[in-house]
Amino acid sequence: MPELRIEATVNGRKVARSALPHQRLLDFLREDLHLTGTKDGCGAGECGACSVFVDGVLMKSCLMPVGKAQGSKIETVEGLARKGNLSLLQQAFHKTGASQCGYCIPGMVMAATAALRANPFADREEIKERLGGNICRCTGYQKIFDAVELARDVQNGRLPATALAETDVAEGKYIGANVRRLDAPGKVSGALKYAGDMTMPHMLHMQVLRSPHPHAIIEEIDTSEAEAMEGVEGVITCADVPGEDGFGVFVHDQPVMARGKVRYVGEAVAAVAAEDLVTAKRALSKIRVRYRPLSAVFDPFDAMKPGAPVLHDYAPDNVTKHIPIRKGDVEAGFARSDLVVEQDYETQAIEHAYLEPEAGLGYVDHDGVVTIVSPSQNITHHRHMLSKIINKPISKVRFIMSPVGGGFGGKEDMIYQGMLALMAMKTRRPVRLVFTREESIAVTAKRHPSRTTLRMGLRRDGRIQAVALKMVCDGGAYGLSTEGVMRKAAILGAGPYDIPNLRVDTYGIYTNNTPSGAFRSFGALQTQFATESHLDICAERLGLDPFEIRRINAMRDGAETHTKQKLKSVSYLRVLEAAERGSRWEKGAPVSRGDARTDLAGEGVREPCSLGARFATDATREAAE
Amino acid sequence: MLLCDEYLTPTTLDEAFYLIDAHRGGYRLVAGATDLLPWAREGRAGDVHIPVLIDIARIPELRERIVDDTRVRLGAATPIQRFLDDPALGRAMPAMPRCAVWFADDQLRESATIGGNIVNASPAADGTPPLFAHGAVVKLGRRRNGRIETRRLPIQDFVTGPGKTALADDEILIAIDCEPLPGYGGSFEKVGHRRSLVISTVCLAALVKLDASGRNFEDVRLCIGGIGPVPVRMTDVERFLLSGPIAASRLEQAAEMPVGLVRSRTRQDYRRDVVRGFMMRGLFNAVQRAGAGPDVLTPEMEAACA
Repeated sequence: MPELRIEATVNGRKVARSALPHQRLLDFLREDLHLTGTKDGCGAGECGACSVFVDGVLMKSCLMPVGKAQGSKIETVEGLARKGNLSLLQQAFHKTGASQCGYCIPGMVMAATAALRANPFADREEIKERLGGNICRCTGYQKIFDAVELARDVQNGRLPATALAETDVAEGKYIGANVRRLDAPGKVSGALKYAGDMTMPHMLHMQVLRSPHPHAIIEEIDTSEAEAMEGVEGVITCADVPGEDGFGVFVHDQPVMARGKVRYVGEAVAAVAAEDLVTAKRALSKIRVRYRPLSAVFDPFDAMKPGAPVLHDYAPDNVTKHIPIRKGDVEAGFARSDLVVEQDYETQAIEHAYLEPEAGLGYVDHDGVVTIVSPSQNITHHRHMLSKIINKPISKVRFIMSPVGGGFGGKEDMIYQGMLALMAMKTRRPVRLVFTREESIAVTAKRHPSRTTLRMGLRRDGRIQAVALKMVCDGGAYGLSTEGVMRKAAILGAGPYDIPNLRVDTYGIYTNNTPSGAFRSFGALQTQFATESHLDICAERLGLDPFEIRRINAMRDGAETHTKQKLKSVSYLRVLEAAERGSRWEKGAPVSRGDARTDLAGEGVREPCSLGARFATDATREAAE
Repeated sequence: MLLCDEYLTPTTLDEAFYLIDAHRGGYRLVAGATDLLPWAREGRAGDVHIPVLIDIARIPELRERIVDDTRVRLGAATPIQRFLDDPALGRAMPAMPRCAVWFADDQLRESATIGGNIVNASPAADGTPPLFAHGAVVKLGRRRNGRIETRRLPIQDFVTGPGKTALADDEILIAIDCEPLPGYGGSFEKVGHRRSLVISTVCLAALVKLDASGRNFEDVRLCIGGIGPVPVRMTDVERFLLSGPIAASRLEQAAEMPVGLVRSRTRQDYRRDVVRGFMMRGLFNAVQRAGAGPDVLTPEMEAACA
């Protein structure tokens, strides 16, 4: 393969190297020059984690063939703080706490630098516009915009340089104080290494063969042709598991790689480690798998019907977990009610979409300790599970938590660390696996899609007499966190309300969909969405203010939870009051207001989104000239 | 993942055609690469191996940009961002800066080219509706018996369907000639899921010129995209608007006219509502930018068009 000769200036230094013709500038910077501050978040030009300057112009390096960089001047995030001093913008990001997981931050700092270079006086709207190509999943952007405005004002002399310094706080006082994040300098400078940024000498690259079928028997896997390929150092399947093959946060129902059958599209079937990524990808296409498709089920209600396809032998009814709560006499409560309202609520699967796709390194160290470096949100549990899977004492298993580039619950599952361990043990070489964005979306856990039927009985004065809540969730093909999610959904679902008579049932059901798992709020979102929406509907029917109906029923100091735990103090009323004040809520039942409402616009309410702030700036400039 | 054995960067048209000849059947042209690389990923084309990529973005004819009162010539490799930062281009093509500001994001606009947008022929392309309104003509070139032959096609004859154009196998889109429309008011309306990096659900380009009184149209050019396989120039609506003064009732009538054009594959009802709203807003903005005062564009009209 003829290589490209790339001569360029990178961060002020001359670089002359050969590159592979298919490489993107991103690959060249990260793999060849080890400038890993430039991140790979999507590979499709959507996220901006890879933004760099090429000849002074900000570009997305994931969409730039390296051949285009020939002869250019490139500036990466590492170039901004070259002498070890953070740039003005980097200091401002540190000051305002603009970095959270940090994975988007190098790109964000680059985009902010480009924005202030293009217009040193850009206002907040223009800043938003110019940063539009960069996505952050943690911050909600406000602190990032604050940082750009702060840097702008210091740069323009409108604020003194001391505005970037740490705010003085009383010794030892942290709560309520504006404390700077200790890890921010490493994030804003791009110095922090995430798992996908790490390399080890003699490292292999791993790729995973995944199921194209939602439900099928694996009749045969033939890896011989892949194993025979030059550059391929190892191929693993479930046959390589020496111990008890199973993981999951509650029930260990998922094998490291499919064993006997596949249960969802995207399930790992085999993995290859090779000297380079392209060889590993080519080897995947040489693995022959003979499947016998089975009928599949994609709806949890269908899966609960008699005769439905069964996913796991241990659960012939396809129920992963049922959590019931019983309190008081629900039917008597409904009989006493003046109003009974029943309504169905649905929520959909949601992807966590952390900016850092899953990645990990596995190796066996000099003492024979199988070591996994990954952004796992649950390393201790993973360590215990892996010890059983690879049949080694716990002292021979080590997990190192790399910086998590966003998790939100999505990195609690041990869905690839087992493969890294097996491959490192088989090849005796360090192995790295980096998911693509598509892989991350296709195979990792989602928020449980849910259907809730809620029946609530109330007296005319708004007092709740009884609640019956039933939620059925699509748990997907494996258990993962489903049991815990069902527990939280059941315990918290009826909300912080004093309900004398309560019946709650939550069901997590196996289907042949992508597994559902942990996601911020962990089940409470689904049931509370139903409960809170329901209270609004009931308020409307009873002619009550939505805040009022909540106050009437709120748990107060000394209340008992739905599972009969006594609460000494309850802050709900204070929270309600703050929300009411903060939203400038106009009192009254939902039916009493219409066009006359005044709390839907004005201060604190976001204007509809538009673009073109820079035209206004241009016009001002022209007028000034 | 996109794999290739060679990445070639010709610097003349001659060299490019030589490479096309030499690698017939095994090459693909690259300009900005912003559609090519995302295409070669899982869920779309997957892993793709193209033996030779020929990057034509450095060829002078494709980088040419001539803007004066009589013509606008855009080399096919003109980055979209130039519509925002070249004031002369913005004056000659008054809807284009508004189109460009909604196009992808600041960074992709530096890579993405106007020629790539045309050749890609996406029904949701943002760049083509304004070009239809400018009566654009594309210049295509190929080499026959050692000589470069060129032909010209009106853009509506060039873009023939989703992903389909009249570009022949060995041809290169070299340049686009557009009618300059200085003094026109231009607007571009677009709806999508967020403000940057979004593919249009519907988009509309409007260019209008007012007569001396500022109360009548002297010229109207309207083109809509995203509602069918190719952009549609709405000549009947243009004729209707030219036939009477600028008035709220007439704008409303005009806004109703293209609703029946919607024949996209999905979300037809939604698109019909959008089209109606876009027509009102797009015409209002264009008329305002063409210089109409508050006596013509009354506050009531503004409220109706917001």
